[in-house]
Amino acid sequence: MSPVRLRLLLRDLASGAAFGSMAISGQLPVWTLALYFLALAVALLGLRPFASSPRLTAALLVPVAATLYLLVAAGQLDLVLAACSFAGLISAQRLLSAPGPGSDGQVLLIALLMIAGGAALSADLLFSLFLVAFTATASLSMGLGVVQASAESEPVPPRRVLSPLSLGLVFAVAGAVAFFFLFPRLSWNVGARRPGASVGVATTGFSDTVQLGGTGVLKSNPRTVLRASLTPDPRAERLESYWVGRTYDAFNGREWTSTTSPMRRALRLNPELRQPGRWRDQVTQRVELLPAYGSRTLILLEQPLYVGNSTALSPAGQQPAPAQEATGEELRFTQPAASYLYSAYSRRPDSPRPVPLELEPQERAQLLSLPPGLDPRVAALARQVVGGTQDPLEAARRLAEYLQREYAYTLELAEAEDPLVDFLFVRKAGHCEHFASALTLMLRTQGFPSRLATGFFGGERVGEGTYIVRAGDAHAWTHVLVPGRGFVTVDATPSSNRSSQASPLLERLLALYEAAEERWRSSVIDYTFRDQFNFVRELVRPPRQRPQEEERRSSLPPARAWGVALLVGAAAYAAWLLLARRLPAQRPVEATRFIEVAERRLASAGLHPREGESVEELSTRLASQGHPVASSLAPLTRRYLEARFGNRPLRPGEARHLLRTLERSLEQLRRPGSPPPSP
Amino acid sequence: MTRAGRTYVVLTVGVGLGALNTGNNLLYLVLGLLLSMIVVSGVLSERCLNGLRVRRLGADAVYAGEPCSFRWALSRKRGHGFALSIAEHGVPLTGEGAAPWVQPGVDYVVRARVTAPRRGPIRLGAVRITTLWPLGLFAKTRVVPLEGLLLVYPRRGYACRDPSEAEQGPVGESSTARRLDGTGDVAGLRELGPQEDARRVHWLKSATAGKLLKVEREREERLTYMLTVPAGLTGEALEHQCEEVAALAHRLLEAGHEVGLELPGERLRPGAGTAQERRILQALAWVGFDKEREEVAA
Repeated sequence: MSPVRLRLLLRDLASGAAFGSMAISGQLPVWTLALYFLALAVALLGLRPFASSPRLTAALLVPVAATLYLLVAAGQLDLVLAACSFAGLISAQRLLSAPGPGSDGQVLLIALLMIAGGAALSADLLFSLFLVAFTATASLSMGLGVVQASAESEPVPPRRVLSPLSLGLVFAVAGAVAFFFLFPRLSWNVGARRPGASVGVATTGFSDTVQLGGTGVLKSNPRTVLRASLTPDPRAERLESYWVGRTYDAFNGREWTSTTSPMRRALRLNPELRQPGRWRDQVTQRVELLPAYGSRTLILLEQPLYVGNSTALSPAGQQPAPAQEATGEELRFTQPAASYLYSAYSRRPDSPRPVPLELEPQERAQLLSLPPGLDPRVAALARQVVGGTQDPLEAARRLAEYLQREYAYTLELAEAEDPLVDFLFVRKAGHCEHFASALTLMLRTQGFPSRLATGFFGGERVGEGTYIVRAGDAHAWTHVLVPGRGFVTVDATPSSNRSSQASPLLERLLALYEAAEERWRSSVIDYTFRDQFNFVRELVRPPRQRPQEEERRSSLPPARAWGVALLVGAAAYAAWLLLARRLPAQRPVEATRFIEVAERRLASAGLHPREGESVEELSTRLASQGHPVASSLAPLTRRYLEARFGNRPLRPGEARHLLRTLERSLEQLRRPGSPPPSP
Repeated sequence: MTRAGRTYVVLTVGVGLGALNTGNNLLYLVLGLLLSMIVVSGVLSERCLNGLRVRRLGADAVYAGEPCSFRWALSRKRGHGFALSIAEHGVPLTGEGAAPWVQPGVDYVVRARVTAPRRGPIRLGAVRITTLWPLGLFAKTRVVPLEGLLLVYPRRGYACRDPSEAEQGPVGESSTARRLDGTGDVAGLRELGPQEDARRVHWLKSATAGKLLKVEREREERLTYMLTVPAGLTGEALEHQCEEVAALAHRLLEAGHEVGLELPGERLRPGAGTAQERRILQALAWVGFDKEREEVAA
C-alpha cells in the first residue's frame, strides 16, 4: 500500500470512528447512518466520486440542512442530534471529495466535532474505544500527512513515521487519563445533557396479562436491565432475591390478569415507613432501570414499603418522574424515558415483623377463584400432595417440592389448548410461568388464597453493594396469603432454573463487558468533584482499614508502594538518560568510529583542526603546506569519505593499516628535529 | 502555530467550555486527550530537533538577486528527524530547504533555492531548523549557532557599455598584444561580420561563395582587456558599476579573451577562464566592504 493511500485510509477510519462514537447512542436518524456509512464504504474503497464536482455536491448539503432544520422546528428531532447528523453528512461529502491538505484537515476537524457530539450523546463504554481509535488513526494520518507534505517526491517509509507516533499516542492517552482524574471537576451546569441509551433495543416489558405457552427466549437473553445499590450490602455474589414487578389474581385457563383496584393499593404503604431509617428490617435500594429494560413498571425487592426520588433520564436531561399505581400492585411511571432512577425500601425477607394487610371480601374471593372448566385432576392432585394440612404455607411448600421433584424445566413448549393440563399431565415440563401457575391454582383448589407474581429473580454482584439483573432473570412465582404474615413468596420452579439461562460463554463475556461498563460508569461517567476530593485525600492520607477489610486485604502491595516504585523507576530512568549522555555513545557507523580514532591521534600529536574545519579540509591544508603527515592522512581521509558516503565500506583490517601508517608519520613528527606541527 | 494548529486550539477551548458548561465527563476526557496531544506534539517535536547536527555546505556561487542552490548537511546520532525545514537565521537570505527524513548516522544534504538581496559579504551566524512534526499543528524552531561568511557576487546584468580598447603590448597570458589570426587547425568558415578583421577572410572560398567568409581556427583570437571600477563611487552608482563590470567580464571571458580588473587600491592581472572570472567576482564582491575585509583577514 502506498504511503498516500495509507494516510487516506487512516483519515477515513478516523472519521468513521468519530461518527461511530455518535452512532452508538442509537439516537441518530437511520437515513443519516445509511448515508454516512455508504460514503465511508465508498471512500475506503479508494473511490472519490465527488472529486470532479465539489461545489455541486457541497450544495446538496443545503437541502439536507433545511430538512434537519424543519425536523427540529417540528419538534421531531433534537437540536444536538440535528447538529451531529449534519456534521456526519458534511464529513461524508468531504470523504468523497478529492483528497488534499485542505480536505484532510476538514475531515479531521469535523471528526473532532463528531467526537464531541458523541460525548454529548453517548455514555457507553464503546465510546472510549471509538475515542482511542479516532485519536490513533487521526494522529497517524496527520503525522503521515506532515511528512508527505515535506517529502514531495521523496518517499519516507510509513513504518518509520508511525513508530515514534505510536509511542507518543500511548503517552497522550495516559496524559488524558491523568488530566481527567486530576483536573478539578468544575461545572457551571448550563445546558447539561444526559447521555442517551446505548446500542440495541429494549428486551423486556410488562404487559397486563401473562399467557402460558410458547418458547421462552427471554431466559437466554444476558442483557442487563436493572442495576441496584443495596444497603446494607448483602455481600453475596449472587442474590437469591425476588424483584417484583406486578401480580395477577385472575386466571381464565390460558392467561393471567389482574383485577385489583389500583386506588386501594396506592394507600397500602405505611406512612411511618416512608421515612428512611425508621424501619430497621428494611433494605434500601437505589435502582436504575436501564434502557434494555424497555418498560415503565417499577421493579422492587419483595414487600416494598416506600418508593421515592424517582427520576427519568432522557437525552434532554434528568426530570422528576412521577409514578402511579396500576392494577396488580404495579407501580408505573407516567412518562416514557430511556431509563429511570429511583429509591425504594423493602422489608427484609427474614424480618419477623408482619406487614399489616387488610383484604376486602371480594379480593379474598378473587384470590380463590378458579378458571371455568378446570380439569378435576388438578384438584385431585393437589389434594393428594397437600394431604390434610390446613397451614397455607406448609401446603404451598409441599406442592412446590412436589412440582420441583416431579416436573422438568424446559423453555421449548408447543402450543396447547389447556396449557396447565398439558404441563401437569401430558408433557410434565414447562418454564417458570407453568410452575407458578400450577402452584397457584393447586393452592386455590384446596382453599388457600394465592396469586401469581412476575418480575426478576437473582442478581449478580458487580461492585460494593451493587448488583445487576439480566433480562434472562425474568421470572414468575407464587404469593400465598398466610394469616398474620400477609403474602409469602413460594417458588415452585426448580432452583437451578430460576435465573438467567443464557449460554455460559456468552454470559461470561457479557459479564466481563458489564464489569468494564460498570467500572466505566462509576469511574468516568459518574465521576464527580467529590470523587476527586476523596481520591486526593486518600493519596495524601490513606484511610485506616477496618479489621474485616484487613482480613480481605489483597496480598499485593498498597497503592503508595506502587507510587513510590513508579517514582523510583522514573528517577532511575532519568539517571540513566543523564549517564547515557555523558558516557560515550556507541557510534552508528564504523567509518565514523574510524575517523574519530584518527582525529584523536592527530590531536595527540598537536594537529588540531581549526574551528569548523572538517578532516578533509585539514588534510587538504596539510597537503598544501607540504606537511609530512599529509601523505598518510590523505588516503585515510579519502577512505573515510568513501566508506561514510560513497557506499564503499572499509575492508577488514584496512582501518588498522591506515591508522598504523598515520601513527608512523606522527611518530616521525614527534622525533627531535622534526618540523613543529601547524596550529 | 500553523493554521490547522489555530483551529485545533480554538476547538480545544470550545470543548473545554462545553465541558465546563455541561459537566459532561466525556467532554472532560476529550479535553484531556486534546491537551495531551498538544503536550505530546511538543515533546515529539523537541525530540525531533534534539541532537540534530548541521553543517553548512554553502553554494558554488551566490549572485545578488539571483536564486542559487544552497546546501546544508543534517545528521543525527540517534533517533529520526522528520519534516524539517532549514534556513539561514538573522541574515537577509530568502529561501529554505526541506528534509523529510533524517536517519541516524547518515548525512542528509538539504538543498534550497536561496536568494541574497545585495552584493558583498554576509556574515552567517546561525541556522534555523524548524519542524512541523508530528501533527503539523505547531512549528517548533531551533536556532543552531554556525558561524560562516557568504560572499555574494554582483548581479550579472546587461552590460550597457562596450569594453574599452584592448590592451597593447605583452600583457596577461599572451605573449603578443594582438593575436588576431587564431592558432591551430581550421575549424570552419563563416560569414564575416561587421567590424571584423578582413585579414581573416578566406579569399578563395569567398570568391566561390560570392560572399566574404572568415576562417575560424581551433583557438580564436584573444584580446586583453582591463576593466575598471573607478574610485569614489558609492551607493547605487557603485552597485551599477560592479554589476556592469561583472557582466562585461563574463561576456569577455566567455569569448575567450583575457580580462583584468582595476579596482581602487587593488589590481588583478589579466587572465582567462572560469578561475579568472571567479577571482574578478570575488574582488568585485569586496568593493566597498574594506572594513569587513580587514576583519576577515585578521
